[in-house]
Amino acid sequence: MDRMRRCLLAGTAVWPIAAPVAHAQAPTKTLQVARGSQFKTLDPVLAFDDISSQLLLLAYSTLLCYSWLARPYRLQPDLLDRMPERSADGLTLSCTLRRGVMFPDDPCFPGGKGRELVVDDIFFSLRRFADARLNQRSWYLLEGLVQGLDEYRAATQLAKPGVDMSQQPVAGLVRHDSHRFALRLKIDTPLALYALANGATAVLPPEAVKHHGEGLATHPVGTGPFRLKDLDRKGVVRWTRNPLYHLRYPTEGAPGDEHAGHLADAGRRLPLVDVLEMPLIEESQPRLLKFLRGDLDIVGLDRAGTEKMVRREGGQLQLLPPHAQRHVLNQTASLAANYLWFNLKHPLLGKRKALRKAIAHLLNLPADIDTLLRGRGHHLASIVPPDIAGSERDTGDLPIAYDPARARQLLAESGFPDGRGLPELTLSSGWASTDWRDRFDFHRARFAAAGVRLKSQILDAPSFQKKLEASNFELAFYGWSADYPDAENFYQMLWSRHPAEGGNYAAFQNADYDRVYVASRFMANGSERYAHFRRMNAILRDEVTLVPLYSTVAVGLHQHWVRNVKRNAMVDGWQYVEIDTARRSKGLA
Amino acid sequence: MTAFLLRRLGQALAVVFGVALLTFLLFHAFAPDPVRAALGQHANPSSVAALRAQWGLDRPLLQQFWLFLSQIVHFDFGRSFVNGDDLATLIGNGAWVSLAVTVPPFIAGLLISVAVALFVAYHRGGWIDRLSRALFVGGMSVSALVYVIVLQYGLAYKLGWFPINGFAGGWGALHYLLLPWLILLAVSIGPDVRLYRSVLLNEVRADHVRTARAKGASEARVLVRHVLPNAAIPILTNTVSSLPSLILGSLLLERFFSIPGIGDLVVSSLANGDFPVLKAVTVLSALALVAFNLLTDLLYAWADPRVRLA
Repeated sequence: MDRMRRCLLAGTAVWPIAAPVAHAQAPTKTLQVARGSQFKTLDPVLAFDDISSQLLLLAYSTLLCYSWLARPYRLQPDLLDRMPERSADGLTLSCTLRRGVMFPDDPCFPGGKGRELVVDDIFFSLRRFADARLNQRSWYLLEGLVQGLDEYRAATQLAKPGVDMSQQPVAGLVRHDSHRFALRLKIDTPLALYALANGATAVLPPEAVKHHGEGLATHPVGTGPFRLKDLDRKGVVRWTRNPLYHLRYPTEGAPGDEHAGHLADAGRRLPLVDVLEMPLIEESQPRLLKFLRGDLDIVGLDRAGTEKMVRREGGQLQLLPPHAQRHVLNQTASLAANYLWFNLKHPLLGKRKALRKAIAHLLNLPADIDTLLRGRGHHLASIVPPDIAGSERDTGDLPIAYDPARARQLLAESGFPDGRGLPELTLSSGWASTDWRDRFDFHRARFAAAGVRLKSQILDAPSFQKKLEASNFELAFYGWSADYPDAENFYQMLWSRHPAEGGNYAAFQNADYDRVYVASRFMANGSERYAHFRRMNAILRDEVTLVPLYSTVAVGLHQHWVRNVKRNAMVDGWQYVEIDTARRSKGLA
Repeated sequence: MTAFLLRRLGQALAVVFGVALLTFLLFHAFAPDPVRAALGQHANPSSVAALRAQWGLDRPLLQQFWLFLSQIVHFDFGRSFVNGDDLATLIGNGAWVSLAVTVPPFIAGLLISVAVALFVAYHRGGWIDRLSRALFVGGMSVSALVYVIVLQYGLAYKLGWFPINGFAGGWGALHYLLLPWLILLAVSIGPDVRLYRSVLLNEVRADHVRTARAKGASEARVLVRHVLPNAAIPILTNTVSSLPSLILGSLLLERFFSIPGIGDLVVSSLANGDFPVLKAVTVLSALALVAFNLLTDLLYAWADPRVRLA
């Protein structure tokens, strides 16, 4: 052990000396990507919005993280040396920390010198995550999972602000030594692991909390791939590489990754660039113009940008000339799914399954995706987005077809031939955008052709959500974003024990569905679990609880000198991106 | 004068109280629930209750209103719901940036508009007058958003004369502000010239102007010495009534050019449901409006001795 420690210390001691020599010869590699919105905080427990959650993962590390290249999304060790070992009953996860992971030098440490990460830091961070005085937004990730943690949270709820509760015992956090510990769970579930990859459970030292207090919002002290150099909430956030970062570029990926050049940097120490600059550019026009001029390396494309620069050919998106010679197109399906919800408590819709089926057959999703989304969408066949294990790719489900003739037949069966006698139906939504109005008009025309009259009700998002939770709607357009990339996160919405405020907006109650869901809930992915998913999809389709519509496909561009851009819906992963400085120096073609 | 000032101050206090009450009630009655907006799909009852308590939204309405009034009196609007920043600092910093964006083109626009209006009035009825009317009416008909998009694309991206966006402190700001200034000038000059031209032409027909001409004064002297001073009141009204909006900045410009002013702050707060920021900006705008209205009245007296304030 001592020998290993000496080697590690020697290694870390060499870094600051060796690094400048190497960098004196190589040009500084700066990656420039825009932030589309302002971040709120870099405090892991307080961050909830997407941009804050992504930014803090540049400075902090979690016990586990998502593989950069694997699809469907898969967890891998980050601060842990290897994946947790499950006990025979599945209730204990034995974990070993990677050795030599160092916190950066910071005034919060004695003498300003950073120290090695140990188990106490993990426990401190998990207790802080569970503290009811701090975290109201992401607690659901570990709620009911770790022994003693719910009780600890209840105790913090009663404690006065500022009272230190970090030494209170938690039965489920068991320390073996400075680098080994166990998490004792209340239930045997692989889902607990996802929480350990979420930025909210990122690990920070107690010294930082004590020293910086609220200042943690803008002063991260973590073991992530980058260190914060300059921070201007409304301007540029500049990061420099953390020379002590512990992860390397993956050596294996998904099929096709090698051909696409995504394994060219396999095994290299991360991050690959020296500086990461993130100016705040909230409007899409200046973002795109800066990219086209070469001032940004990567940019996302909105609908207008896609219309101008991308065409759809043979179901594939392709860049139009002259952009195809200068830039590279990248895309990935999002981990959110949009649905048309039926309120099963509604006196008309709830009782007439044939009417719900007719409506499902009137939705022309392929044309919607082609016309309104310009190909930036995936027509869903199940309620799970395609890049999640257990989606239609594993179950073999097919989407509900647009079939006006069948819809007419079903309308007649439900007692409304050609829509006669059918009252006007209200479709509620929480988006006041032009896109939504276009989408509503598009589908209303098709519904009207079959004799179904639709009217739109647009509400602000919180009021709309209240309406859904109160089951006070007829039809609703609403989606679900994955909290973690597991199909369970989608199927749980319709579990009858979940009230509408837990996501069961349809007020769906089906004993068969419940039974299959409970059986599949904590099962490891594989053919047995996928068979359960297939069964649940069949029930949902037969009952027409909701209609899976589409998952949006995020489309973006990167410059030809940028490598390893494989868009990942779970992490931004700027540490994996590489710049070819020789190609960049030649500029845009 | 003192009695007038006291009366106006009393009225101003009543107006500010009314605005505060209306702002408070409207936000509570019609604005989306900020707690649910923040929690999104994880808004379960316990998290909603906890966050409501953390933000003080579980207190009785009267208590919340009293707190809001005391914040106005002390110019301390608390902290942002979203990032916990001190609002006084946030708004103070934003106001200086917004003033840097709006004041130079405002002053330049005022001088240019009056000068052009005088020039056009001098050539009234001629081809210059007709051409300028066509140009300015055409310019006014184009949305400000079009100016922003087209000039950013043309002058900054295509020609590279200006940076596409960005901002820097100190003198470095000049580099980034030139194009926004140009756009603000282009947007404001049309309506101002039209208004000032009409005001000047009304005065041109006045008896004292005819008398000045009859005494042999040149047309230029008539315009500058006799017409312009008498047209000052409408020009002052228009100018002073624009002043509060200078502090508020330009929503579009600040957004498109990534300028961290009040306009950008308001748009972001709307998007994030950061109601303390919106309430503070609404009340401060009302205060600015009341203050500048008072200033307008005082300037009337200075510009026109016929106005008696007592």
